[in-house]
Amino acid sequence: MSLWNSDTIKDVSESVGIISLNDDVAKNLAMDVEYRVHQVLQEALKFMRHSKRTVLSTTDISHALRVLNVEPLYGYDSLRPLRYGEASVGPAQPIYYVEDEEVDFEKLINAPLPKVPREVTFTAHWLAIEGVQPAIPQNPTQAEAARLSEGTPKGSNATSSVAATVGNNDGTAIKPLVKHVVSKELQLYYERVCSAIMDEGNDTLRSAALSSLRHDPGLHQLLPYFLQFVAEKVTQGLRDMFVLQQMMDLTHALLENETLFVEPYVAVIVPSILTCLIGKRLGDPTTFDHYTLRDYAASLIGLLCKRFGESSHTLRPRLTRACLKHFLDPSKPLGTHYGAITGLASIGGREAVRVLILPNLKLYERMIRPELEEDTPKKRDAQMVVEAIFTALKQLEDDDNVHVKHENGNGMADEQQREALARKIGDIATDRVWRSGRRGLVKAILDAKAGGPRVAE
Amino acid sequence: MASQPGNGTPTSAAPTAGSPQQLNQIVMEYLSKKGYSRTEAMLRVESAHTDADGRPIITRPEDYPEVKYERAYQHLRRWIDNSLDIYKPDLKRLEYPVFIYFYLYMIQNGHLGAAKTFWKNHIAEHEAVHAYDLQELSRLSHPSHVEENHLAKLYIENKYRVKMPNTTRNLLLHFLEETAEEGGQTMLDILNQRFELTSLPGRASLFDRAAEGQEGEGIQGHPFGRADLADNAPPVKLGVLPMDKDMVKEVEEELRDEDSRLRELTRSDELGIAAASSLADEFQKIKREESEDSPMRESIPLPPYTVADIHEEVKRVKEYREMMKIGGGPSTALPSVCMYTFHNTNDGLHCIDFSQDAELTAGGFAESYVRVWSLKGTPLVSIISSENQPTAPKSRRLIGHSGPVYGVSFSPDRKYLLSCSEDKSTRLWSMDTYTALVVYKGHDAPLWDVAFGPFGHYFATASHDHTARLWSSDHIYPLRIFAGHLSDVEKVTWHPNSAYLFTGSTDKTARMWDINTGNSVRLFSGHTAPVTTIAASPDGKYFATAGEDSLINIWDIAAGKRLKTMRGHGKTSIYSLSFSQEGNVLVSGGADMTVRCWDVLHGTGAQTADVPEPISGAVPGLSGPSEPTAKVDGAGSTSKRKGKDVVATPDQLAVWYTKKSPVYKVQFTRKNVVLAGSAFLPSQPTV
Repeated sequence: MSLWNSDTIKDVSESVGIISLNDDVAKNLAMDVEYRVHQVLQEALKFMRHSKRTVLSTTDISHALRVLNVEPLYGYDSLRPLRYGEASVGPAQPIYYVEDEEVDFEKLINAPLPKVPREVTFTAHWLAIEGVQPAIPQNPTQAEAARLSEGTPKGSNATSSVAATVGNNDGTAIKPLVKHVVSKELQLYYERVCSAIMDEGNDTLRSAALSSLRHDPGLHQLLPYFLQFVAEKVTQGLRDMFVLQQMMDLTHALLENETLFVEPYVAVIVPSILTCLIGKRLGDPTTFDHYTLRDYAASLIGLLCKRFGESSHTLRPRLTRACLKHFLDPSKPLGTHYGAITGLASIGGREAVRVLILPNLKLYERMIRPELEEDTPKKRDAQMVVEAIFTALKQLEDDDNVHVKHENGNGMADEQQREALARKIGDIATDRVWRSGRRGLVKAILDAKAGGPRVAE
Repeated sequence: MASQPGNGTPTSAAPTAGSPQQLNQIVMEYLSKKGYSRTEAMLRVESAHTDADGRPIITRPEDYPEVKYERAYQHLRRWIDNSLDIYKPDLKRLEYPVFIYFYLYMIQNGHLGAAKTFWKNHIAEHEAVHAYDLQELSRLSHPSHVEENHLAKLYIENKYRVKMPNTTRNLLLHFLEETAEEGGQTMLDILNQRFELTSLPGRASLFDRAAEGQEGEGIQGHPFGRADLADNAPPVKLGVLPMDKDMVKEVEEELRDEDSRLRELTRSDELGIAAASSLADEFQKIKREESEDSPMRESIPLPPYTVADIHEEVKRVKEYREMMKIGGGPSTALPSVCMYTFHNTNDGLHCIDFSQDAELTAGGFAESYVRVWSLKGTPLVSIISSENQPTAPKSRRLIGHSGPVYGVSFSPDRKYLLSCSEDKSTRLWSMDTYTALVVYKGHDAPLWDVAFGPFGHYFATASHDHTARLWSSDHIYPLRIFAGHLSDVEKVTWHPNSAYLFTGSTDKTARMWDINTGNSVRLFSGHTAPVTTIAASPDGKYFATAGEDSLINIWDIAAGKRLKTMRGHGKTSIYSLSFSQEGNVLVSGGADMTVRCWDVLHGTGAQTADVPEPISGAVPGLSGPSEPTAKVDGAGSTSKRKGKDVVATPDQLAVWYTKKSPVYKVQFTRKNVVLAGSAFLPSQPTV
C-alpha cells in the first residue's frame, strides 16, 4: 500500500534493539515515514527553486531538515554528486547504498590545497537590439535556436548528449535525446579504439581498430562520439600530420561501414574534412606530405558528395562555394589553393572544372607566375598547384576521348591551337598541358569554351 | 457519518451495567413483566439491527466503505455524463470536491486501502486542473495526517462552496433522493455536511461558466475560492504618489539652469541644433502630481528630500528624454536586451539585481556572500581610503550572512544594497564603503526575497514563515506583518506609488496589501502552481504574475480580475518579469534559457483591441518554427495544460535564446533598455 516497505522499518527497529515489532506498528510507521519523506522533499524543493536550480542537491535536503526542525544529516556535501553502490541480496533484488569511503586523516592534512576556483566574472553582450538578435558568437545560431525551441528544455543541468548538439544538414533538427545511455561495453570499445588509432607505434593494432570500425555492426550509438572525437582532434592537432591522417582514416572507416546511418551527421563530418583539405598550415610546412593529406581529404569529400549529394540539396553547392572562395582568395597560401582545386574537381567533377576552374585560370596565372619564376621555397608549392590544375583539367578529356581520335586530322595547326589554348587558360597551364602531349585534352579544353555560365573575371 | 466500520472486534466480555445491550435486556424484562408485549416485540425487532456495542450491523455489502464511496461516486458520474449538455458544466464542478471528500473520509476513518484504490481509479479525471492540490493530498497515508496536513484541514474544516442555477440544483437533489438506495444517500449526506450550495438566479445555459462562475467557489481562502475578497474588494488608489511641492520647485529651477547651460553650449558650438525639447518641458510630462486617485502623501512618511534627491530627479528627467519608445501593437518597436552572463558560478549564483542607473550589479551566492560588480568595469572605490589598498577592486565581496543569499535589492539611489538569506536575517550594505550597516532580524524562517521601495527608505521581505514584512531602514523591527498567505511567500514587489505591496506565494496566489492598514486588499488567484515571480507596471494599473506552471497572467489591479494568460515558456520556471516604462511590453526570463517579450494589451480588449493580428511572426528570422502556428487562446479562458508541447500564445512578440544560460533576472532601465542576468552553465560531457 505504501511505497515504503514495512520490512525496512523492522530492519531499522532491530538495529536499535527492538527485536519483535508488531506488524501493525511497522505498517503504520512505514506509512508515516513515507509522509515525512514527502514533507522533507516538499521543503527541499522550495530551496532548490530559490537556488534557481533544476536538480535537487544534498544542501537542499539539509536546509529543509533545518526548517522542519530536524537534526540535519551530516556527511553529505554537494561538491560532488553522490555515488551509489549496488549490491544484490538475491535475484533481482538490488540494494542501493551510498558509497562511504574511508578518509585517511594523515593524507588529508598533508594533501596540497586544492586549486583556487576561478573567480566569478561576467561578460556583457547584446541579446537583442531593438528586437533583433544579432548574430554574434555569444548568441546561439538560428539552427541552435530552432532546436532549443523544439524540445522543451529540461533545465539548466539536464545532461545533454553529443547527439543533441549536432544538426541535420537539411535544417530539420534532431530531437535532443534527453539521455543517451551508452553501455559499458560500448564505452570500453570506444576508448580502446580511440587509443589504438592514436597509437603511433603499433601499426597492427591501428589497422585492426580501423577494420573493426569499417565492418562491425552495432556501432551506431557511438557514431556521434567518434565524430566529436574527430572534430576535437583535428582542431587540436593541426600541426600533427599523423593525427590528421589518422582522423581522415577514421572518418573514412565510418563512412565505409554499411551498418552506420551517417546521413544525419554529415554536417558534423564536413568541417573536419574541409579543414584537412584547405587548412592554411597542416603538419610540418617544410615537408610536402600535407599534399597527400589534401588529396585524401578531397577524395573523402568526393565520396560524401556522391553518397549524400542526392538527399541533401544544399550539400554540394555549399562545399563548392567554400572551395571556390578559397581558390579565388589570393591571400591564402598555395597549399590551400591546391586543396581547393582538387576539392572542386572531386566535388563537382567535369562540370565544376569547366564552369568554375577553367574561366578563372588565366586570372589565377597572374598570381602564381611570380612564384614559379623566382627560385623561392614556394616554387615547389606553385608547381604542385600547377599539377593540381592539370589533374583537374584532365577530367575534361575523359569523355571526349572518343571523338578526338578522328577529329585529329583536320582543324587548326598546332601553333594556332596552342595560341588559342594560351588565350584561354594562360601560358603556364598551356605549357603543362602541351607537355603532356594530349591532343584530346587540348581539344576538350578548347571546346569547353562554349556555353556554361562564366564566373566573373 | 452514516455507517461505522465493522472492523472493531466486538467485545465478547460480560456486558457491563452501562452497555446498551444490557440496557435493552433490562428494558425488555421490565416490559414483559409489565405485560407490554407489543412494545416489547417492537423493541426486539428494532434492536436486532445493532451489534453488541449498539452500532448498526452492516447487512448489505454495499455499505462497506470499499464499495460504498466508489459506488456513490460512480453513480454520480454516470448520471452527470448522461445528463443534458446544458447542465454538464455546472454538475461537473461537483465531481472534484466530492472526490476529495470521499477520499478524506476514507483516510480519516482508516480505510487506507480503499482510499488508495479510489484515488488511483479517479485521480486522472482531476489532474489537469487540480494537480498541485492532488499532489499534496496524495501523500496522506494515515488518519493522523489528515489532522496535520494544512490542506486536508482546510477541506475538512470548511465547507466547499458551489454555485449553480436553481434548476440544476433541484435536478441534482431530486435525482439523489430518488436513487438514495443506489448511492444517492451517501451523496446527499456529503452534500449536506460538506457543501454550501448557492443558487444562482436564472436557468442553466450552454455558456461555460468556468471563468466567472468559479468566483466564490471552493474553499474559503483557498485558491479556487476567492470570494472573500473579490466580491467586496476595497477601493485602491493606484495613482502616483505626488511629489513634495518644494521639491518640485527646486527641481524645476535646477532644470531651467540645465536648459540654459545646454542652450549656451549649442550656441557656442554654432551647431544650430536646438535641443529636442527643454528639460523643463519634459519634467512637466512626468511630474508626479496629485490626482484624485493618488494616495495621500502624508500616509507614507518619507524622510525630507535632500540635494541628492533633486539631482536624482534631474537625472531621471534626462533619462526620460533619452528613453527609447516602445510601442505596443504589431508594428511595435521591440526593446534592446543587454545580457550579462556570469561565468564560473558553478550553480552557486542564486539571485541578481541591477541598480536603476545600470551602474552596479549584485549577486547573492550559495556560499553566503554577496558580490557587487560595476557594470562598466570601473573600480569600486570605497570612501574609506584604506579599503582601496593596494588598488580599488572591480568587484567586492560582502561577507556577513551565514546562509545562502536568496535575494538582493539596490536602493533607488543605489547608495545601499539589501540582501536576505537563509539565516533569517536581512542585511543593509553601504555602496559607499562596501560594508555592512544594519542587520534586520524578525522573521522566523529563511527569507526568500527582499525589495526596496520605489522611493527608498522602506523595504519589504518575503519569507518561508508564510508572511511578508514591511521595514523601514532606520528601524530594526518590522513596521507591518502581512499575514494571510497559506504557504511561503516567494516574492515581494512594490506598487510604483509605494502605498501597496504585492506578494506571490507557494499557495498559488498573489496578494496586494495596503501598507498603511496592513490588510490584504486584493487576491489574485488563478495559477495552478506556486507563483514564482511578480511585477507591477510603472503606471500602476497592471500586475503580472508567473508561476511554476510556466504561465504568465496579467491582472487588472483595480478590478482584481485576470485579463489574460500568456503561454510560451516551455514547462520550466519563470524567474523574472519586468514591464517597460510605458507598461505595454512585458519581458520575462526563465529556466528555459530564453528571454521572451510579450504584448501586454493584446487581446485584453484594451486600446489595441482593433489590431488582433498575430504578431509572433512579425520579427523576421527570430521566431522558431513552432511559433507561427500559435494557437489563439481566448482572453480570460482558463488555460489547462493540454497536450504535450507548449505553443506560444499569439501575444508573444519575440523570443531570444541564450547559450546554455538560464536567465535569472530581467529588468527594464529607465531608458527602456532591458538588462538581463544569467549564469552560464556548461553541461558536462557524458562520455
